[in-house]
Amino acid sequence: MNKIIYVLLIIFCFSCEDQIDVELNNAAPRLVIDASINWVKGTTGNQQRIKLSLSAPYFDTNVPPANNAIVEITDSSNNVFIFTENNDTGIYQNSTFIPIIDEIYTLNIIYDGEVYTANETLMSVSPIEYVEQINDGGFSGEETELKAFYTDPEEEENYYFFEFASNVNAIPSLEVYEDRFTNGNQVFGFYTDENLEAGDVVVIRNHGVSKQFYEFMFILLQQNSEGGGGPFETQPATVRGNCINTTNSDNFPFGYFRLSEVDEFVYTIE
Amino acid sequence: MKNLFWLLFLISFSLNAQEKFTISGTITDEESNETLIGVNIIFPDIKTGTITNEYGFYSITLPVGVYDIKISYLSFLTIEQSVQLNENKTLNFKLQENIESLDEIVVKVDIEELNIKNPQMSVNALSISTIKQMPVVLGEVDVIKSITLLPGVTNAGENSSGFNVRGGAVDQNLILLDEATIFNSSHLFGLFSVFNPDAIKDIKLYKGGIPAKYGGRVSSVLDIYQKEGNSNSFKMNGGLGLISSRLLAEGPIKKERGSFLFGGRSSYAHLFLPIFDIDNVAYFYDLNTKLSYRLNERNNIYLSGYFGRDVFEIGDTFENTYGNSVLNFRWNHLFSSKLFSNLSLIYSDYDYDLKLNFVEFDWTSGIRNFNIKYDLKYYLNDKLKLEFGLNSIYYKFNPGDIKPTTESSGINPSKLTDKYAFENALYCDAEHKLSDNLSVYYGIRFSSFFRLGQDELNVYENDNPIIFNDDLQIYQKAEPIDTESFKRSEVIKDFFNIEPRLSLAYQLNETSSIKASYNRISQYLHLLSNTSSPTPLDVWAPSGKYIKPQLLDQIALGYFKNINETYALEFEGFYKTIKNRIDYVDGADLIANNAIEQVILNGKARAYGLEFLLRKNEGAFQGWIAYTLSKSEQQTAGRTPLETGINNGQWYNTAYDKTHDLSVTGIYNLNNKWSFSYNFLLQTGQPTTYPNTQYEYSGISIPSFDLRNANRLPLYHRLDISANYTPIPKKERRWKNNWVFGIYNIYNRKNAASITFRENRTTANNEAIRLSIFGIVPAVSYNFIF
Repeated sequence: MNKIIYVLLIIFCFSCEDQIDVELNNAAPRLVIDASINWVKGTTGNQQRIKLSLSAPYFDTNVPPANNAIVEITDSSNNVFIFTENNDTGIYQNSTFIPIIDEIYTLNIIYDGEVYTANETLMSVSPIEYVEQINDGGFSGEETELKAFYTDPEEEENYYFFEFASNVNAIPSLEVYEDRFTNGNQVFGFYTDENLEAGDVVVIRNHGVSKQFYEFMFILLQQNSEGGGGPFETQPATVRGNCINTTNSDNFPFGYFRLSEVDEFVYTIE
Repeated sequence: MKNLFWLLFLISFSLNAQEKFTISGTITDEESNETLIGVNIIFPDIKTGTITNEYGFYSITLPVGVYDIKISYLSFLTIEQSVQLNENKTLNFKLQENIESLDEIVVKVDIEELNIKNPQMSVNALSISTIKQMPVVLGEVDVIKSITLLPGVTNAGENSSGFNVRGGAVDQNLILLDEATIFNSSHLFGLFSVFNPDAIKDIKLYKGGIPAKYGGRVSSVLDIYQKEGNSNSFKMNGGLGLISSRLLAEGPIKKERGSFLFGGRSSYAHLFLPIFDIDNVAYFYDLNTKLSYRLNERNNIYLSGYFGRDVFEIGDTFENTYGNSVLNFRWNHLFSSKLFSNLSLIYSDYDYDLKLNFVEFDWTSGIRNFNIKYDLKYYLNDKLKLEFGLNSIYYKFNPGDIKPTTESSGINPSKLTDKYAFENALYCDAEHKLSDNLSVYYGIRFSSFFRLGQDELNVYENDNPIIFNDDLQIYQKAEPIDTESFKRSEVIKDFFNIEPRLSLAYQLNETSSIKASYNRISQYLHLLSNTSSPTPLDVWAPSGKYIKPQLLDQIALGYFKNINETYALEFEGFYKTIKNRIDYVDGADLIANNAIEQVILNGKARAYGLEFLLRKNEGAFQGWIAYTLSKSEQQTAGRTPLETGINNGQWYNTAYDKTHDLSVTGIYNLNNKWSFSYNFLLQTGQPTTYPNTQYEYSGISIPSFDLRNANRLPLYHRLDISANYTPIPKKERRWKNNWVFGIYNIYNRKNAASITFRENRTTANNEAIRLSIFGIVPAVSYNFIF
C-alpha cells in the first residue's frame, strides 16, 4: 500500500520521506538461531555452518555473537553431526554432514544452560533454467529487473526461498514463493534494483523449503519495510520460527532451522 | 420492550377524544423548487411542531382551532401565517433564500427550541455551504474530511478518506447516498472522498441513538441525499480546482413537475504528466444523475444513479481500476395526508480490478447487492409519529478471480469461491411526546441474515479452522478435512437479532435539556483489512459458519444548552461494547485467501468518551470548538486457557484510538465580497507498533516488534486557512462566481502519516523513516453558477 501511496504522492509532488530519530524500548536479548543447511546442487554438502547470535537494540550497528554453545544435528539414522565454534565468531562448523532429500533432522543447542531444539525436513528444489533481464522495469521505469525462471513440479505443493545477492548492495534481497496460483508452470523469482549496471554480478540462489518455513519467512520479510509495505501487508509482530526452548519456553529463540537443496545461478548484468 | 411499545401506543389513542384535522404538505425552495429537508414547522401558541422528512413532506394533526404557523429554515426567510383548522388541509410552502443575512448557521443541530425537545441526540448535520467554505487540502471540497471536524469523529490518517466514529472502525459506518449503500467512500487511495459536493443536498451523521430504520452497521450512519434538480429553470454550476473540475447541470423536464440533474467531476492532474515525461497515471471521475417527476399530488418518482471510478497506472507494470456504481428507483406515495410511504429499489456494486503486467495476471473482486426498502411514516397526531417498514438485501460476494493475461503467464486461472447472503429487517420507530417536557423515540428492529448455499465450504476437524501450536505459541491454519457444496437456495447458516432502540429527552427549562439513549445494532458484514485505513483492495466477508455477526450496545447521555441566541453548548458521554469483532492473527494474509477463517479469531471491542461542542451560530464570526476525550480498545483472548489469544489476550488500542481530539473551526464574513475561514486540529498521535529489538537472520536485519499498537506516532496538529472572494458585479448578472484561496498546513508541520523501520540497502544500517503526506499546500479554486 505504502508504495502505491508514495507513487501517487510523487505524482502530486507533496509527500516527503525523511529519516528521523525515534526513541524505542529495548527488550532483553534472545538467542538467534540461523541454522540454514544449504546443499548446493553438484556439491557433497558436507561443509555446513550454523550461526548463533543475540538480538540487540534496534539501532545498534552490530549484533553480538552467541559463544560457547554446544550445537549438533542428528538424522533419523542417529548420525550425530557436531558443529564446533570457529574462535569467538558465533559461527559453528561441521565438515561431515550427510544431506539426504526428505530426511528429517533434529537440531539440538545448549546455550547458557538452556536447551533449544527443532525438527525440519531437507527439501528438494527445481533448478533455475535461465535468467531474463529487463532494463526499463520497476515503478520508476528505470530499474533493472531480473526474472530467474524455474519449472514447478505439478504433483506436489512446493515452496521456494530466493536469495539475490549483488555486489552493489550490502544486504541480499530475499523472496519466498508458493505454487498456489502457479502449480506445474514455468515461473520466476523476481528481483529489481535501480543501482545495477552492466558488469555487476548477481548471485541467485533458489532454495527448496517447507510450508512452515514459507509461512515463517513470509511474515518475517514483512517486518522490514523494504520487504513488506505492499497492499498485502500484515500487522508487525514477533515472528516465531521452529526452534523451541525446552528449558524455559518464555525465553524462546528467534530464527529458524532450515534444510534445503539449493540451485545457484551466477548472472552478470548485460 | 414490545409491551411497553403497545402500552404507549394505546395511551396515545385514548387521548384522542377531541375532533382533529391534519395539515400536511411539501416545503420547497422557491427558486429551484427543490424540496427542503428538516424544515421546522412550529405552532408557537401550543408549543408544538414538526419537521419535513427526507422528501420535504410534513404532516401534523391538531385539534380544531386557529393557529399561528411558523415555517423556519436556516438561511431562508421565515414564513409566519395564521391557519384556521376546521378540515384537513394541504399547505405547501415555498421558502425564499435569505440573501442579505450573513448569519448562516454553521452546525445545524438543536438550533430551534423544538430541537432541544427532540429526543434525537448524537446527530450532527453540516450544511453543504459550510462545507464549501472550510479550508481543505488542495482546494478539494470534501464531505468526509469535513465531518471529521465534528466531535467524536476522526480519521485514521491524512491518506485515508474513511472515518471513525466514537472509536468505531471504518467498516462500521453505514454510508447511504439516496438510500443506497456505498461500500468504498474514497478516491485515489483515500486522498479524496467520492461525494461531489455540488450534487448534495443534505448530510446527516448519526453517532448514537440510531433510529430502528437504520441497521447493518454498528458505529454510525452517514445519510446523504442528492439534490433533485431545479424544476423551474435551467442552471449550471461548476468549479475549477487544482486537482479536479466539476460541472453540474440541472433543469426542468416539465416545469414544476419534473427535473433532471447531471453532475460530473474528474481529476485532471494526470493530463499534465506526459509533459514531464511521466508514464504514470492516476485519476478519478464521478457521475451523479437524478431524474425526478411528480406524477400527481400523491405520487413522486425518482431515478438516481452514481458511477465513480479510479484509474491508476504505473508505467506498463501496474493497472488498477475500482469504483462504486449505484442505480436507484424510488417511489413516494401518499396514502393519506397522514401516511407517507417510500419504496426504494436499489442496485449497487463495488468492483475492483488489478492487472500486474510483470507477473501477467488480472485480479478482479467485488460485491454486488440488490436492495428493497419500503418505509412508511404515519403521522398520528402532534404527539405521536410512527415510522415502520422493511428492508431486504441480496448480496453476491466475489472475493477474487485471478486470470492470466498472456499465454505465457505462469499464473493458473483461479477463482475464490463466491459467497451469497440475504439480509432482512423489519422495523418500527415511534416518536412520542409524552408531556410538555418529556419526549421519547422508541423503536425495534428485527434483523435476520441468511448465508446462502455456496460451493466448496471448508469443513474442519471439530469445526476448528485455526489451531494453536502449543510448542511455538503461535496460531496455525488447520487443514480442511473435507469440503461441502450447497444449492444457492439452501440456507447454510442463519442469524436473528432483536435490536431495541430508545432515546429520550427531558427539557429542563426553555433553553436546556438532557437526553439519553440506548441502542443495539447488529452487523453481518465484515471488512477484511489488516491496515488501519481502508484500501480499495479490501474484501467484505459475510457472517456465516465461522464468522459471527458483530453486536453493538451503546448508551449515551447528553446535556444541551442554548446559552443565548448566539451560543449553544452540547456535552455528550458514550459507552459502547461490540461483540464478535474479528481480529487477525500475526501474519494473517487476507488477500486471495479462500479460507479467511484460518487466520482470524473472534474478539471484542469497546469505546467510551466525552464529547464537547461549543458553537457560535450568529454574527459575522461563526464557528465551533469540538473536543473529544475518548478511548477505543479491542481484545482477543485465547479460546482456552492454554492459548495466548492476540497480543497476549490483553486489551489493546485500536489503530484509530485518539485520546485527545480538538478541532476549532471559524468562518468570518467580512462583507459581501470576502469571507475567511480556518481550521485548527490537534490530535493525539495514532497508535502504531515500534520494534523493541533487532536480530540478524539470513544476512538481513529483522526488527522484532512490541505488542500491537503499544506506541504512538507524534502529536498531530495543523492550521489551515482560506479566503473566499465573491465579486459583486455592478449590474445583476446571471453568471455568478467566486474564488477560494486556501493554504493547508500553513506552518508546514511534518505530521507523520507513518513511521516505518528498514535496513538501508547500501549501508546495512537500520533507520526509522517518517512519511509525511501534506506539508504546506496552497490551493486556489474557481466556482461558478449561471
